[in-house]
Amino acid sequence: MKYKGWLLPPALRDFHEGRIWLKNHSPFSSADIDKAIKKNYFFIIEGIQMKPVIRCNRCHNTDSQLFTLFDCSKCQQRCLYCRHCIKMGRVSSCTQLMIWTGPKAIKNNKHSLKWTGQFTELQQQAANEILASVKVKRSHLINAVCGAGKTELLFPAVHDALKRGLRICMATPRTDVVLELYPRFQQVFPETVIHALYGGASKQDGYAQLIIATTHQLYRFDKAFDVMILDEADAFPYTFDETLQRAVNKAKREDAPVVYVTATPSQSLLKTYQQESYSFIPKRYHNHPLPVPRVRALWGYEKSFKRGIIPRRLKGWTEERLKRNEPFLMFFPTIALMNLAAPQIQLVNERILAVHAADPERKEKVLKLRNKEIPGLLTTTILERGITISNVQVAVIGAESSIFTADALIQIAGRVGRNVQFSDGEVLFFHHGITAEMDEARAKILFYNKKGFSR
Amino acid sequence: MNKIESHCLMCTQPLKATISWKMLLTKQFSPTICERCAARFQRSHASTALYQYNEEMKDYLHQFKFLQDVALAKVFRQELYARFKKENAIILPIPMHPLKQRERTFSHTEELLKAAYIPYSQLLEKTTTETQSSKNREQRIDVAPLFRLKTGSRVEHKDYLLFDDIKTTGTTLQHAAVVLMQAGAKNVQHFTLIEG
Repeated sequence: MKYKGWLLPPALRDFHEGRIWLKNHSPFSSADIDKAIKKNYFFIIEGIQMKPVIRCNRCHNTDSQLFTLFDCSKCQQRCLYCRHCIKMGRVSSCTQLMIWTGPKAIKNNKHSLKWTGQFTELQQQAANEILASVKVKRSHLINAVCGAGKTELLFPAVHDALKRGLRICMATPRTDVVLELYPRFQQVFPETVIHALYGGASKQDGYAQLIIATTHQLYRFDKAFDVMILDEADAFPYTFDETLQRAVNKAKREDAPVVYVTATPSQSLLKTYQQESYSFIPKRYHNHPLPVPRVRALWGYEKSFKRGIIPRRLKGWTEERLKRNEPFLMFFPTIALMNLAAPQIQLVNERILAVHAADPERKEKVLKLRNKEIPGLLTTTILERGITISNVQVAVIGAESSIFTADALIQIAGRVGRNVQFSDGEVLFFHHGITAEMDEARAKILFYNKKGFSR
Repeated sequence: MNKIESHCLMCTQPLKATISWKMLLTKQFSPTICERCAARFQRSHASTALYQYNEEMKDYLHQFKFLQDVALAKVFRQELYARFKKENAIILPIPMHPLKQRERTFSHTEELLKAAYIPYSQLLEKTTTETQSSKNREQRIDVAPLFRLKTGSRVEHKDYLLFDDIKTTGTTLQHAAVVLMQAGAKNVQHFTLIEG
């Protein structure tokens, strides 16, 4: 006798639980999907909702500019589709989205925390506060300077939530941060299934109780998470894109707490959380003050690059770094200026590389700098946060540009001196005129140092 | 279809609204992509194509055809309109197989023409669901007829201009031209958006 019924493939359940997915884009066979739908394991909704406002049911976009009407050959009608999330597979009026409502994934309840580090007094206090907040499902704001060990602060709360069988998402606006966090969490939670999700990530098997994802990937989830951690909560594009903020809210359960982690909180975040659930760490974990940026004039640097001449001060700075064998990052306001300057700086040393957001070798180049295969890296603001390179020195070219806000400059300065052995280092703002933003960044760093070392 | 775009269709940067006398006095479409994106497309020197195939074009075709972003049909409407407005021949876009078209939900060649308000007719039918892009050069050239005449369509003693998105080996256009010539067409030319 052969069994003729249909058994739910566990992989299908593990993948679809918590996700909102295009019906014809599932990685599983359409036969299995149809069977699961017949069994009422999926809740089906239309791709585009027309009332009360036109809305994409995946990314919750309601901007009418981002919907396009066309004659659809599939349904023989005028169809609308959403251009906002088109890169994830098109959602249109005649496509259907599926949300898993079937049996729950079987969770592994063994979770060990393998971390031998020691918290400082301030860190311990903050970690306790976070744990207490998550336990009572209260949202929490962590404001800690760059290099305070923010990620470590989360370990106790994450471990506790994992043990209680909760599903946790650690979301950040930057792919680089996901790539940096993923191996660290894997190391600390060796028995937990963790997935890293970002544009271009490969498919990972099993049911992940802990997901580390870019905020963009949250469009693909629906009421999935019991705890939402938002790292670098103030970074572009999260603050700009309202739909991303909505995505965070729709990806978590309604009563799930959000833990905001940042070194540069916005006024509205501070106002909402400062009074009750707020942790503040003005000091780095290694107990050394933050490197204070110095400003240096680099008059007419743009003209100089255009003429093909590397400004003398910049050349001197680069040569100094090479002589001292110190890795360095050089931040540029635009890709265009960086591309203009790159060949001239490479004349000083041809192994210096340049990287920007769309660079396919972005991951490798950062790794090369970390492994000391290259002496330095030119970059746009994409590397302003999340990355840690031992003994790195930093220069900002054109610090007066509007892209370098006070927050961005604080983050950039925060790359320096993160290691105990190299707790100091140089942050130099090369400018063509000092801006209020530069002053503010300096003032804030000085303020944190004063706060941290006044006791 | 005629809305004014506020953001570049390719890179989503805000578009600067510029109104010129030329735009007001002659038939000009409002721009749909920013100047930076437009500059990345490389014009073709051939008289039978508008652009050369490059990285930017690859991205464009990927988003237009594979990700099914129909709105991108508008990107080249000004250039296509300029090329076709004084055309006397009957314009025939290369058809897709009906099954393929239902899968993609639109015909990309027809959408390109529609976006530029160019009238066209359809006399041919695709016979196979196989795609040219899945084959190598030898396989492409050596295939059974790709097209047949639509039942009831009359190919009169007239000039025809075939239109396709991209020409690589030219097999597709060749097949379509042969069918038309055998049915009594006077002359068959071709024009593509991109030359491969």
